[in-house]
Amino acid sequence: MRVVIAEDQLLLREGLIALLREHEVEVVAQAEDGEGLLRIVGAHKPDLAIVDVRLPPTFTDEGIRAAVEARHRHPDLGVLILSQYVEPVYTAELLAGGEGGVGYLLKERVGDIPAFLDAVRRVAAGGTALDREVVAELVGERRGVEEGPLDSLSPREREVLSLMAEGRTNNAIAEALVVTPGAVEKHVSNIFGKLNLPAAADDHRRVLAVLAFLRATDAA
Amino acid sequence: MTPPWAAALWRLVPRVPAQIGGGLALLSFIIWALTGAGSPWFLWTWLAVWLALALVVAWRWSRLAPPGPRRSVETLGAFAVVLSINAIFNWAIGGAGYFWPIWVILGFGIAFSVYLVYLRNRGADLRSRGERELTERVETLTETRRGALDVQAAELRRIERDLHDGAQARLVALSMQLGRAEEGLADRPEIAALVRQARVEATAANAELRDLARGIAPPVLTDRGLAAAVEALGSRAPVPVTVDAQIGRRPAPVIESAAYFVVAESLTNVAKHAPNSRAGVTIRLDRDELDVVVADDGPGGADAAAGSGLDGLRRRVAALDGDLSISSPRGEGTRIEVKLPCGS
Repeated sequence: MRVVIAEDQLLLREGLIALLREHEVEVVAQAEDGEGLLRIVGAHKPDLAIVDVRLPPTFTDEGIRAAVEARHRHPDLGVLILSQYVEPVYTAELLAGGEGGVGYLLKERVGDIPAFLDAVRRVAAGGTALDREVVAELVGERRGVEEGPLDSLSPREREVLSLMAEGRTNNAIAEALVVTPGAVEKHVSNIFGKLNLPAAADDHRRVLAVLAFLRATDAA
Repeated sequence: MTPPWAAALWRLVPRVPAQIGGGLALLSFIIWALTGAGSPWFLWTWLAVWLALALVVAWRWSRLAPPGPRRSVETLGAFAVVLSINAIFNWAIGGAGYFWPIWVILGFGIAFSVYLVYLRNRGADLRSRGERELTERVETLTETRRGALDVQAAELRRIERDLHDGAQARLVALSMQLGRAEEGLADRPEIAALVRQARVEATAANAELRDLARGIAPPVLTDRGLAAAVEALGSRAPVPVTVDAQIGRRPAPVIESAAYFVVAESLTNVAKHAPNSRAGVTIRLDRDELDVVVADDGPGGADAAAGSGLDGLRRRVAALDGDLSISSPRGEGTRIEVKLPCGS
């Protein structure tokens, strides 16, 4: 797996590179700003770009803009955003374009190395890895006036839905909830049935379907 | 208690002439009384004494005003009042027949008004020096207060950035190093557990800093402006929120922040007091005013005085010369409207 990193803070960039190299992830290039990211992505054609949201020169959402542009130019590129804060609006922008994998994690999740590496591999392979805080805001309790379709889910199904939205596979969900993969499959088909979603072929499409549904409920 | 204006007038009465005049008045009354108390001619002496003293007082009064148009107005006014009162006295002593002093009063009134209009048209400044200074002072204070608030808003964004690049970055680096240490301790599970605990603490500290930073200066507000930030608030709120924000340009940071926190606090209140309602946020920006409305269809009856959160908002808005109004009739929902001046 070939990875590029766009992070302006030396401390974090060096730490990230060391961590990835220890786990046989090849960091082929690094950049300190959005322009640099587009340049190294063009030059190295990596599987994955790990991008900080706040980059020079504006120190606002430079990283998101550059990542969206990079995905536009290289639709197969996986993009994993690392940030000190989660903003659903940025996730939505990222998800909107490109075929490749998408991830959006809080920076501190990097400390949980197995989970972080799992997210890195998933996104590089075209999957999804959304921070549980993003998902929580999408799935979060909405005590609307009338019952929403999410209210028809059992608490367990809701948990499964959240983990699915994070981008986890059935096996990973089974592991997290300490149940059998078969039980997860049953929950998943129940959820898709109750929410009236079309059954999806692969994990990534499944996540997109779930997220599209959640965003639609959100807007309503 | 003597009213202050009466005391001020009394101080303007010339002492010696007043004593002489008082003596003359008394003397004429005594002579009148001794000579058989016929028709009250002594009143004419009184009138003359009153008029002389009143004219002196009027003159002195008008000298208190600063030189310039203001003094000429006061001079005319003072003499008009004295001569009008004199005309009424004159009329009363002279047998109180047809009320002719009305013509004197009307004449003075018209002359006074014409003169005022004339001065206004010339753009004369009728304010006293004190008033002028006060106005200038208010203007300066308004400007410096706004300056201080702008500096404060910029400062808060700088603090948020410092937190992000400083403490938060270090905590992330710390989590990362602890994570790597944990991996290396696979054969020492009890120490690995300690390291994991330390990492969890670092993560919690970072989460607290993140909440703090969001409370100081929400990144999405800085990055994307008010409309996006309010959309984000709406999607975070536990009640359904419709956002309709039409903001062509970005107002000053201090205005953006105030509007943002108005919406944040109002939505928090909706979630707390009307959890089963729907809320709508409307934001409009015209040439010189930002108008923010947060309305819900909950039970209403919100007490503006009870919520200290609302009180804080009101003060924040007032500091920007804005206006916050709450209407919350029982059974009809709550509507909070804030108008913030933001002249470009």
